[in-house]
Amino acid sequence: MTKRSMHSLMMVAVLLLAAALLALAAKVGEPAPDFTATASNGKTYRLSDYRGKFVVLEWHNNGCPYTRKHYTTDNMQQLQKEWIARGVVWFTIISSSPGKQGYMTASEENDYLAKMHAAPTAALLDPTGAIGHLYDARTTPQMIIIDPQGVVIYDGAIDDRPTADVSDIAGATNYVSAALKQAMEGKPVAIPTTRPYGCSVKYSGVH
Amino acid sequence: MRRPTRKCKANPVYLPPLAVAAIVLVIAAKVQAADAPIPHGTVELIAEDQWITPEHDFSLGLHFQLEQGWHIYWVNPGDSGEPPQAQWSLPPGIITEPLEWPAPQRLGTAPIVDYGYNDSVVLLVPMRASATLASQQTARLGANLRVLVCREVCLPGKARLALTLPVRPQTPAPDTRTKALFAQARRSLPRAAPPSWRFSVTDTKDAFVLTADLGHRVAQATLFPLMESQIDNAAPQKVEATASGFRLTLRKSGQLLKTIERLKGVVVIASDHAYIIDVPVGKAGARRR
Repeated sequence: MTKRSMHSLMMVAVLLLAAALLALAAKVGEPAPDFTATASNGKTYRLSDYRGKFVVLEWHNNGCPYTRKHYTTDNMQQLQKEWIARGVVWFTIISSSPGKQGYMTASEENDYLAKMHAAPTAALLDPTGAIGHLYDARTTPQMIIIDPQGVVIYDGAIDDRPTADVSDIAGATNYVSAALKQAMEGKPVAIPTTRPYGCSVKYSGVH
Repeated sequence: MRRPTRKCKANPVYLPPLAVAAIVLVIAAKVQAADAPIPHGTVELIAEDQWITPEHDFSLGLHFQLEQGWHIYWVNPGDSGEPPQAQWSLPPGIITEPLEWPAPQRLGTAPIVDYGYNDSVVLLVPMRASATLASQQTARLGANLRVLVCREVCLPGKARLALTLPVRPQTPAPDTRTKALFAQARRSLPRAAPPSWRFSVTDTKDAFVLTADLGHRVAQATLFPLMESQIDNAAPQKVEATASGFRLTLRKSGQLLKTIERLKGVVVIASDHAYIIDVPVGKAGARRR
């Protein structure tokens, strides 16, 4: 085998391996990977049961200053309320590993939701990070929108002001609202992906 | 019961203004400080020279010192985090250019990799003083700084810094106290690549392949992308040494939906020298000379 073809073979192997590792990670324009999760309310939710509806996945860590920016101002709660009223299914997802910031037991999360007057469809507990890894969730918040056909139509930041400052909410363009509005009107999502901003998701082994 | 001795009592009428004056003085003192605490560290505004000379360029520095394990972020923070940002209040006659960032380090591990700095770093602040400054005797340079400091958790910090420097017509003299810090910072800045070096980038659908022709074999290189969401920060960067340089395979970001025209970033060669590159992206199979 020549050096050149050996090199090509190695390159192919490397790329195949990398592709395999990320084969399940969701990408805009592709089918959203299915999952089943237990929520803080004790019920089990399967994503594919919601085919026919828009679904928002909101990665959450209540200790992260970027998450707190949207919760102490009631911004996230208002978004949840507004879009749930329009038929959207909204899952808050907690992928923090036990012992790490943001990890919540079911009762802790229920207390938090009550205290913050947050009413997502459900708060899904993902302590192993399986769902987070499935969607390559990297920050809190990170927002993913799935359309009624089960395709990812948005993946990224909640808005265009990547700071922890509450004063940056008022003037921000909210990417989630924009995408849902456009998709509900049958239009293509103008900005389907942005770099999500926030703290790193606290998977096990990562900080 | 013992009677309290009657001492002089402040006339209550004067108390509010005195209190206000005291508060104003405290605030003024704070605002004048060249250094300030940030979460798990400190930041200070330092000057390279002892005075400012009209019609000269000069530099300030934002010197961050962090406790063990805590880090701040590079201009492209990577998968998470936020770079420090400064808003300047400058007198007429002084303008600032964008910050100059020393070469960063890779922080974290897959699936979340960021770019930034541990321990300490000086971000350089290039400034220009015009002729109009000559009418002033001093110049007060203020910064409103926002910075995110992280370890396992992230803490946002704010600092107000100010430095007042004399304005003199003579050629600036370096400030010996900050000389070492500025020298170290300038050494860590990425530099322009030597003109004899050649770079090309090929788009191979899933990755960008950066080929570098430097005239000698290089076994180790890392690319720090300047723009977010172009390369997959967590993916290992496969480097192959070639007779005249190296080839670096950079997996594309999962968020990159369209082609990019140019790949801009900092290439660190053999964990030592850092170079700025800005390379047009060509398709695989296209021959470039």
